[in-house]
Amino acid sequence: MGKIWIIIQREYITRVRRKAFFITTLLAPLGFLLFMVSSVLISTYNRSTTHIAVVDESGLFKKFDISIPDESDGTLYFHIVDDKYEDVVSKMPKKKEEESKYQGILFISRDFDINNPQKSPIAFRFVKAPGMAKYQLISQRMNDAYQRLRMRMLNIDERQIDEMQRKITLNYDSLVNQNEKRGFTLAASAMGMLMGFAIYISLFFYGTMIMKGVQEEKSNRVVEILTSSVKPFQLLMGKILGVGTVGLTQFILWIVFIMLINVLVLPVLGMNMGDYSATGSGMSASDVDPDSMLEIVQGFKQLPFTQIALIFPLLFLGGFLLYGSLFAAVGAAMGEDGDQQSLMIPITVPIVVSILIAINVINNPDSSLAFWGSIIPFTSPVVLSARLPFLHDWKQIALSLTLLFAGFLFTAFIAGRIYRIGILMYGKKIKMKELLSWVFSKG
Amino acid sequence: MSLLSLQHIVKQYGTYVASDDVSFTIPKGKIFGMLGPNGAGKTTLIRMITRILYPDKGTILFDGEELSDKHTECIGYMPEERGLYKKMKVGEHLVYLGRLKGLTKSKAKENVQYWLGRFNIQSWENKTIEELSKGMSQKIQFIATVLHDPKLLILDEPFSGLDPINSKLIEDEIHELSNKGKTIIFSTHRMEQVEEICDDIVLVNKGRVILDGSVKELKHRFKENKFHILFNGEVNGAFLDKLNVIERSTGELTVKFEEEHKGNELLRLFVENNVEVHSFNEVLPTINDIFIRQVQLN
Repeated sequence: MGKIWIIIQREYITRVRRKAFFITTLLAPLGFLLFMVSSVLISTYNRSTTHIAVVDESGLFKKFDISIPDESDGTLYFHIVDDKYEDVVSKMPKKKEEESKYQGILFISRDFDINNPQKSPIAFRFVKAPGMAKYQLISQRMNDAYQRLRMRMLNIDERQIDEMQRKITLNYDSLVNQNEKRGFTLAASAMGMLMGFAIYISLFFYGTMIMKGVQEEKSNRVVEILTSSVKPFQLLMGKILGVGTVGLTQFILWIVFIMLINVLVLPVLGMNMGDYSATGSGMSASDVDPDSMLEIVQGFKQLPFTQIALIFPLLFLGGFLLYGSLFAAVGAAMGEDGDQQSLMIPITVPIVVSILIAINVINNPDSSLAFWGSIIPFTSPVVLSARLPFLHDWKQIALSLTLLFAGFLFTAFIAGRIYRIGILMYGKKIKMKELLSWVFSKG
Repeated sequence: MSLLSLQHIVKQYGTYVASDDVSFTIPKGKIFGMLGPNGAGKTTLIRMITRILYPDKGTILFDGEELSDKHTECIGYMPEERGLYKKMKVGEHLVYLGRLKGLTKSKAKENVQYWLGRFNIQSWENKTIEELSKGMSQKIQFIATVLHDPKLLILDEPFSGLDPINSKLIEDEIHELSNKGKTIIFSTHRMEQVEEICDDIVLVNKGRVILDGSVKELKHRFKENKFHILFNGEVNGAFLDKLNVIERSTGELTVKFEEEHKGNELLRLFVENNVEVHSFNEVLPTINDIFIRQVQLN
């Protein structure tokens, strides 16, 4: 252990002293701040206004006085016009770049049959296609108007229609955890996704750091001197733990910076973590009403922070050790010039798969995919992190962590075997089959 | 008394036999040359001695004990393919390597100061390795090898890349260390250095030992009864017909004598024929000659 400790110290000190460490440590929170500010700014300023001319040749909508409501945020307006369709079309631009009063026409033809609307369907015609979201909104508004028209034709008056269309909000209560409100679910989803992504990115970031470190030692031949003083496995462990400590340091500094940004900077800009988390959970700004915002902020306060603080670092550590040793093995097996990127495929595929599972389990945190994704050591660091704010099953967490660290022992064994041969092998392109044969060969 | 003894060492990589029943002994306090053409298996043997690799069969004894991990701290290894961390400073790099060899931090620092002072390069302490020339970093490599005061030094082509002045400097250090009782394994292709520096050698080829012994003894073992004579005047005696003359020029002869005859008999022939001899030497083969002959025979 003494020699591993000396190696950890070197790996740690030489890395944290580099300018690159300071730059990435400082820039990442600034990037986070920039991301939040820009996402709010983009959603504020990236709003185009669309004016739709509604040409109702059937006269049905006018007859029953059915209007199509505009969008409250000023991005979509419907104008019922009396002009003929041909006249409106003639005023439309001929080229996509040209500006005009209307950007689209909703055309209800003379043959429109309320009982058989598909016979002569209502058409939406445009020069420049609107985005998918806006198309869906136009479609939804037109459908609402059609429903309202049908009801009016059945002699239901406006007041009755409004009465019929009144909406309710479901009360969202957990029988086992009274804190688990709707806001909690949204906050937990956002937090889970944030943690899953943090592990996903750090596995690649620090894994590559280890791989490059091993390659450097191999290509500049310092490894010959090192292996005459320490066992390859000690060298491997020293490097992984050294880089892991660098990663933990950076993580802690980031969390501190992000907290400081949240406490000191964002209130000045009129934002808080709740804003970000709501949009981060995949909801568009229009879905979040002020009441929901309050709910989410409340939800955040109810997240199981002790559980997260205890388990998340263990997941980071376990995942990092498991994949770090494999990255080191690939670094040792690669050529001195760092070619043979194909050797990385067996490592990168499970990491990418785990983030795909994580995205899925945010919506289904108790599915069997979520369970197995949290148990299998190759996916558990990312998947379990994403589920952590929802999960109260300590047995499952314990099983997952046990298997993760057992998985690390397994990958460390495999990596150690590949590493000790790979680092001393020069000028030869290694194939996957050969790597496997090293695992089973004697020293 | 031997410091290192290799007994029936076998090492295979798949079907390729890198060491095939290798046995030899390295006497304590001697400079021992390990010779062999490229791919002969020298590096594999060195890696087994330094515990980078393990033999499939056979035993290695270090100072009478079976070689184990604890002995790596008694060994200093300067590999042929060498390098250092480019971004590290000379001083801290040496301290790091010294600590990996079991020195405490303070002892490592003390030894680094001693060696930097000895080579008069204290001003390099805070330079990074990438600022050094190849020759300069070679000196740092040498210091890294001897820093922990090992009993056994393994130097693989220690002079490659060094100018004559620095070569001499390192050579003097090797002799100095030998005088202090250190055992040194010296692996090289430059045979003139082997004759100059080594006391004993082993010659390996295709994973096998093809000869070993002291340089002096080997030269005698492979001598061909050749003599080189310098004299005054002309030699026209009929006695010359009895001799196998290999080279002849004015006042100079190289002859090959029958194996059963001694040098004295040859000298007597010259004296009896009134030739004024002023130099008479037996011509011994160079290690290079022996090396080439044995490798070709093998």
